[in-house]
Amino acid sequence: MSVGVLERPATGSASEPTTGGVPARRAMIRWAWRLFKREWRQQLLILLLVIVAVAAVVVGAAVATNTPPPANAGYGMADDLATYANSGKHPINLNLVTAQSAALEYRFGAVQVIENESFNVPGSSQTYDLRSQDPHGPYGGPMIQLLSGHYPTGPNQIALTPGLASELNLRVGDTWSSQGGKTVVGIVQNPQSLLDEFALVLPGQVTHPSTVDVLFDAPGVNAGRIGSNVSTPGSLNNNPINPETIVLALATVGMLLIALVSIGGFTVLAQRRLRALGMLESMGATDRNVRLVLEANGVIVGTVGAVVGFGLGLVAWLAYRPHNEQNAHHLIPMFALPWKVIVPAMVLAVIATFFAAGHPARAITRVPVVGALAGRPAPPRQIHRSFVPGVIALAIGFVFFSLSGAGSEGSGVIWLIPGFVALIAGIILVAPFFLAVLARAGRKSPIAVRLALRDLSRYRARSGSALSAISVGVLIAVVICAVAVARYSNVYDYVGPNLASNELAVWSPSGQNGNGQGPNGTTSAIPSIESQEASVHSIASAVGATDVVELDNPAPSVGLQNPSASGRQWNGQIYVATPALLRAYGINPSSIPSDVDVLSSRPGLSGSGVQLTYGGSGKGGGQLVGPGSGGGGGPGPGNTNTCSPEGCIAHPVVQEESQLPTGTDAPNTVVTESALHRLQLASQSSLDGWIIQANSPITSAQILNAQTVAATNNLSIESKNDAPTSAEIVNWATVFAIALALGILAMSIGLIRSETASELRTLTATGASSRTRRSLTAATAGGLAFLGALLGTVAAYVGLAGWFHSNSLEGGVSDIIDHIPWSNLFLIVIAMPVVAAIVGWVLAGRDPTGISTRPME
Amino acid sequence: MSYLELRDISKVYGEGAAEVHALQRIDLSVDTGSLVAVMGASGSGKSTLLTIAGSLEDPTSGEVYLGGRPLSSLSRNGKARLRRQSIGYVFQDYNLLAGLSAVENVSLPLELDGVAARKAQAAALESLEDFGLKDRASSYPDQLSGGERQRVAIARAVVGNRQLLLADEPSGALDSTNAEAVMRLILAACRRGMAAVVVTHDAQLASWADRVVFLRDGRVVDQTVPVDSPETVLADLPNQ
Amino acid sequence: MSVRHALLALLSDGPKYGLQLRQEFEARTGEVWPLNVGQVYTTLQRLERDGLVESDDSAVTGPQKGFHITEEGAAELAEWLRTPPDFSSPPRDELVIKVLVAFELPDVDVHEVVQVHRRYLVELMQQWTRLKEDESRFDLNFALVVDAELFRLDSLIRWLDTADGRLKRAAAGVDAPAPQPFPLPKARRKVGAPQ
Repeated sequence: MSVGVLERPATGSASEPTTGGVPARRAMIRWAWRLFKREWRQQLLILLLVIVAVAAVVVGAAVATNTPPPANAGYGMADDLATYANSGKHPINLNLVTAQSAALEYRFGAVQVIENESFNVPGSSQTYDLRSQDPHGPYGGPMIQLLSGHYPTGPNQIALTPGLASELNLRVGDTWSSQGGKTVVGIVQNPQSLLDEFALVLPGQVTHPSTVDVLFDAPGVNAGRIGSNVSTPGSLNNNPINPETIVLALATVGMLLIALVSIGGFTVLAQRRLRALGMLESMGATDRNVRLVLEANGVIVGTVGAVVGFGLGLVAWLAYRPHNEQNAHHLIPMFALPWKVIVPAMVLAVIATFFAAGHPARAITRVPVVGALAGRPAPPRQIHRSFVPGVIALAIGFVFFSLSGAGSEGSGVIWLIPGFVALIAGIILVAPFFLAVLARAGRKSPIAVRLALRDLSRYRARSGSALSAISVGVLIAVVICAVAVARYSNVYDYVGPNLASNELAVWSPSGQNGNGQGPNGTTSAIPSIESQEASVHSIASAVGATDVVELDNPAPSVGLQNPSASGRQWNGQIYVATPALLRAYGINPSSIPSDVDVLSSRPGLSGSGVQLTYGGSGKGGGQLVGPGSGGGGGPGPGNTNTCSPEGCIAHPVVQEESQLPTGTDAPNTVVTESALHRLQLASQSSLDGWIIQANSPITSAQILNAQTVAATNNLSIESKNDAPTSAEIVNWATVFAIALALGILAMSIGLIRSETASELRTLTATGASSRTRRSLTAATAGGLAFLGALLGTVAAYVGLAGWFHSNSLEGGVSDIIDHIPWSNLFLIVIAMPVVAAIVGWVLAGRDPTGISTRPME
Repeated sequence: MSYLELRDISKVYGEGAAEVHALQRIDLSVDTGSLVAVMGASGSGKSTLLTIAGSLEDPTSGEVYLGGRPLSSLSRNGKARLRRQSIGYVFQDYNLLAGLSAVENVSLPLELDGVAARKAQAAALESLEDFGLKDRASSYPDQLSGGERQRVAIARAVVGNRQLLLADEPSGALDSTNAEAVMRLILAACRRGMAAVVVTHDAQLASWADRVVFLRDGRVVDQTVPVDSPETVLADLPNQ
Repeated sequence: MSVRHALLALLSDGPKYGLQLRQEFEARTGEVWPLNVGQVYTTLQRLERDGLVESDDSAVTGPQKGFHITEEGAAELAEWLRTPPDFSSPPRDELVIKVLVAFELPDVDVHEVVQVHRRYLVELMQQWTRLKEDESRFDLNFALVVDAELFRLDSLIRWLDTADGRLKRAAAGVDAPAPQPFPLPKARRKVGAPQ
């Protein structure tokens, strides 16, 4: 042979390294890559999981971070902004502005002055700005963009925003007569706020500015020390709970889930390659080489998935971006992607698959080479069945969840992340124990079921990972369900959609919800009640409504409070139960005893120890009465919530009326006229607004039309917001859990049974009917689903107990115990396993293909 | 000079009632440049003998010497290195790695041993050329015929400076023409200075060996006397 | 195989002299089958007597006498090629008899006897195989003859292997009356039954 002497990195001596170094690693990675190219279909499910997760992170993070107005809106490229505005009847002192901006320029360098003068367009309720701004100024660049034509270059030229141009029916080249015959030379917009409608002129053209903005950079100087009217862009990053960290936390949990699910897949893959890996070892590959092949495969899957997922997410984001710009009312740069979230998420995806793929390496290298060559896996290892470590991890999860309630301003929420990690670790650790318990429980069952449950216990490497993945999915869903149910059923701090889909609220400018000020910041005259009512009725007839309910505020305001209740305090508006209102909701006034003070649709309010406050004891504008308004500090024993006789009824008579609407902004709680009479407040109620009830859901076109009509009288329109109802959240969470669990089962049952596929073939050969096969698969699927759902639910309640136990905003552990979503838990824990078993039964009917064939390597 | 030496090797599988004595007190030595065949019925322990000789399994008792060095003195990684550098295996079912081309399969042991990929592939290509497979070098295992696959496997087992070739039923799945080709290649590798052990139940394969060792129930029961001259058989011919 | 038909086959190529026939015979059988001159001439005389060959010139004798094949001779050759050898009745094989006798004798280890024969046969095969090793002198005819010999020996070894296994199982059955030392599935036994 003419091979000759080959150079090796080291030869001969006993101390030479026992690994092949870089060439060996490269050869292993090359092989892993070829295997991936050959067998990527077998890894498609894992690949798809990674792709979907990364794409979701890209889209979710992009939407979440780009939807809020940009932090520099109104600042352009400047770091500081000095604002001067008309105060009441006093116009801006322009000399002062000039002097101060000169001083700022002297102190900090370049400044840019932007002047605004409000004007009205006849026939339109909206006010617009005449704005003087140098489009090429040092700071204002990001705040102005030319859409067509050119910027004004002379005193007789003007540029308009698209909205203003269409309002005035002007185009480029037209002359705008009311502004001294200026020619429209361009169409411009403010990319940072598409709602900003203005007419742009050269600097110096605005003679009576209502606001003046001076942009400048004062690096390292506290804005408040320059002047009280100086501000800097608010920074989102100070709060640890911002969209970016939330998306990243979700991505972390998602990748953990992927790692769990894919462990089973990678284990089967490694098992299928056992003979090839044995061959590799017989050729002198070390354990580390073998491990490298598996890990490289994981990294390849993770990388391909992350890159494809990123591409897919990017495409989806680019397709969605125009839509998002419309919703967010500002332009979003094409590649304004939160790389701080996306890159870590992609790295996490690779790390997750790396660990999942490397997991079977230890088991593989434990197989004797001879056994591996023969394709004989190692006998299942008797791993510890103790559930103590798992219980300890769950306890740690409980502690972390407890910590999440501590700390001020909700900063303890960050503990939820390690809390979830501990719970998931606990699930993974206790899973084998419960699989063994399940196997023991099934010892007396028919042969097929017994075999299925025993195999689940024997091959815990993959059944354990599937079980953990199902449990984690159920854990997340149950936490969402339980929190939503507990939170939504808080009778004081009521959350949910504001109105029903067939309702519109029209708020009077003089009321609590009205925009008392005109859009330009100046107080305009409040139209007469009659003209407001005329508008409201024209809106009502436009949407085909039969009922218009007037909402009256009692004045001085009436509120509810509960000094003894822990957690959240009263939130919501209390209206007067006028006869018209009662009639509108089908309540017979005579059915209300005269001693009743409050009617409410909030269940459980009557027995909650609520107190009624009135008169001067309330704070603020009377909208929210009670010390804990809006949450925050939380009432403790030290907080004085005494019920003084002159402003409080300690035990008001509350009658629950289910006919009252349940929307948060609808009159869900009303004070009776008789109570007002008793408190001598009867004559002092004031108009707040109207609720219009149509027979069918109100379309967005109708809402738009209503807004136009309402604007003429400074009324504001409120329609159903996007807040989901409790049922929506709980049901979607349940659907998520069930779909995830069934999906995991669909991909892992095949994997689990592939280990015993030969056994199944033998069974078929020995005459087992399809019934046996069906029972086997059904028992495997059902057992796994049931155990996973049960474990996930228990772990969820362990975490929730910790959370509600310590979180002052919530109502304690009893709050979570009192509001268990039984029907949804039933669906997850009982119905889902049954469905899994049935699906397994139906799908397992086919004859196993090829009794003697064995999978191609 | 004997390269492989098995001294008093025994191998027991299982425990108690399930105890199986696969090998009992085997002594065997194989010289550099010679081909020894181990014949026996299935279950006689001949495959176990091969895996123990090749460090894939440890004997229950006894010692294997390779080039004078006892295998028991080597760590797991040390044995892996020994396999990379000194031992080539040929198995009945080829055991080429799917996903790697013929030349990459042959170069793999060299690369595992730290030879740079380009040099290893050049050596592998040369080896394939010797085996008449140059034009199949970039084919993948599933594109090769059975005979070609086994030739690639032998090329992989002899590439580099290996000193010991171990073959377990190397032509088990091949027709007799291909089987003969395989044995010729193994014999040629021996003649170039390797020690070789072929395990088989097939007398036609075994007859290629310089010495045939008979194994029964885990024991060496007999062996042939080395042939001096091939002409003896012709001299014995019936002359009617 | 008869020398008679071999000579007929050689003559079917064309007329040949006696000496030439001997040389070609040896060349075609790969020198494995030496033939002496006397054998050639005796056979040729018989063929001529039976009218299967004719001599060119009856006056000439010795090595220079030429022969050619007759039509009857060609027909005889064609029929012979297609007539299968007689395998129907078992030959009285000495090896079989020895193993049978060894099994009956109480003081003789039959396995040892089998092994002695097996070793001898393998050694023979080794010698034949050794001939194949040198490919330069290994032409097609020679290869066919060597292969035939190897397969013949191989079949004997296989018979010995099978006999060995059968005897072993039979002995185990006698020693241990336990139901079945090898609990084979029923289907397997059917397959193994003699046809």
